[in-house]
Amino acid sequence: MASQTDSVYVTLVSSDGFEFIIPRSAACISGTIRRMLDPASKFSEALTGRCVLETLNGVVLEKVCEYFLYNEKHKDQVNVPDMEIPAELCLELLMAADYLDT
Amino acid sequence: MDNEIPLPPPRRVRYRSPSRFALPGSGSGSGSIPSSFHKSRRFSRFDDRSSQPSSDPALFSSDDIPASGVENYHAPVEGAGRKRRYRGTWWGEQVIDPKRKRADFKEKRNVDSGVWMGSDDSFAESCLPSEDASNWGEDLLKTVLDPRAPSKAPNAPYLARASESTPILGQSRATTIQGPVESEEHKYAKAVIDTCLERGDDNVDLGGINLRTIPPGLLRPLQHLTKLPSLQEAPISENAYSSLQPFLRLYLSNNSLTNLDASEIFELKDLTVLSLRNNKLTRIPEAIRKLTALQVLNISVNRLSELPWDLLWLMQQGELKHLTARPNSFPTIDESDSIEWHGPFGNPDNEDRDMDEDDEDVTPSKYIPTFRDYEGRQAQDERIPLHVASGPVEYFDMEGRPVNARDQIVSSAPSLREVSLRAISRLPGVEQLTDEELNDEFPALVIPLIALARRARQEGIRHCSVCEREFVIPRAAWTEWWDCTPHENGMKRARVLGEQLRPLPFKRSVCSWACAPRER
Repeated sequence: MASQTDSVYVTLVSSDGFEFIIPRSAACISGTIRRMLDPASKFSEALTGRCVLETLNGVVLEKVCEYFLYNEKHKDQVNVPDMEIPAELCLELLMAADYLDT
Repeated sequence: MDNEIPLPPPRRVRYRSPSRFALPGSGSGSGSIPSSFHKSRRFSRFDDRSSQPSSDPALFSSDDIPASGVENYHAPVEGAGRKRRYRGTWWGEQVIDPKRKRADFKEKRNVDSGVWMGSDDSFAESCLPSEDASNWGEDLLKTVLDPRAPSKAPNAPYLARASESTPILGQSRATTIQGPVESEEHKYAKAVIDTCLERGDDNVDLGGINLRTIPPGLLRPLQHLTKLPSLQEAPISENAYSSLQPFLRLYLSNNSLTNLDASEIFELKDLTVLSLRNNKLTRIPEAIRKLTALQVLNISVNRLSELPWDLLWLMQQGELKHLTARPNSFPTIDESDSIEWHGPFGNPDNEDRDMDEDDEDVTPSKYIPTFRDYEGRQAQDERIPLHVASGPVEYFDMEGRPVNARDQIVSSAPSLREVSLRAISRLPGVEQLTDEELNDEFPALVIPLIALARRARQEGIRHCSVCEREFVIPRAAWTEWWDCTPHENGMKRARVLGEQLRPLPFKRSVCSWACAPRER
């Protein structure tokens, strides 16, 4: 695959094969993904623009992507509304937050 | 001291009647002062001088019924026992609940009279809880309440003093409290609360019973306290038409409470008067914000070094009109380093002019801010709290650990950790997690975070002091100095020009770096 370092979108893949295509700037809110996609690192993720997150399943990754876009949208806003998190997901999301450094 | 009229030594205020010293067995030692009394004067937490008494306002009753002279004191008088009662100074405060009996008035008297002379710091030292004299109140109480060993106790003069000032206390409570057994105090407190609930009495006095903790479930029933109408006694006076809205007053003064974390006090939405005077508290939880009806708060004679921002919020947005915070172990403003004076108070021109006017009193290193004319001053500035200075800002990372510099992007959106912690803190049963369960059931990486969520649930979630949003992990914190003198004297007196400001330290926490003040 051709180099996609400068593409606007990146693909996040969950452990069970779901793919989420989100803006690169949103994905880079996560410190871990930012380092993965850093062109200077020469990781394969940086070359292909495709990150496989083996520790996250599809349900959690969907919520994580929702959070990325939520953060992107409300970055400079004064009154940030709360993000709804279903009770059964919050512990897994906390683990994901720890892993993704966000 | 170079006062022209020498003040009487402070001891004389307390040892008013020397004849009481001649108790059986203590006659020889009547002239000597117990050593613990001497020691307690050496270590001082005395941080400022004020003429404001820190005690709860006293109760007075009037003699405005015509036939109530001394000569016919016992004569049956029509309407006897219905004297008006005044709260605060006798020369003109509001009449309080006139239905209560005179016996309640006597019960309200405390061992500690609370009169504190601002001109005489030796007296204040002795009533502040220093390390050495930390058990002062307990010893006193045990001595007072233990009828078996009145003379053998090494601090027998305490007994004399206490029984002199509060003759009723010993009699009315000796039967209910036998000793320092924990459950006894709780039983007594429970009995007091049950009585109040039964009679519809909204004046709950749990003062001076040596409480160390507030057991769960003790205060919760007070949420449902209902006042009873009193229409059975004829003739009906105007006082019969008092409000049935409970004016809940809770006195926890002169106890040994060390912390109020996760306390049920903060569930009492109707609480209007709260006294925590003379306890061993080291911090006031942010959850005090929930007491939106609070009008009078007394937290003097504790071990506080800072106040939560939420207390200032209650003064600005809530009902809080009278805050008694001194004496306490607050640092003084000139002891704190890297202070930035706020607005007009740090103006170097003003400072210079100030020092020219005052002579040798003010040295350049000890600048004392005063209330003066400045641009933009408005009439209400004489009463509202004034921002005097700010301390340095401390930043925390996404897990709440201190970081040196803000190297990451400043975003006002919460971190994913914060978002999920907020959700976790809302889960049912989080507050009941024990430490063992935490360690067994959760991955090691997130245990400290879940402990934070548990704390947020137990103490009530905190609010950002800038944007009012809820947060679990504070991202930045700093101290702000605000002058609240009108609130400290109960709004009786406004600031006057040239008055020295005596700011109190308030700790501010915010939810994101975007809410922290800009780099200076």
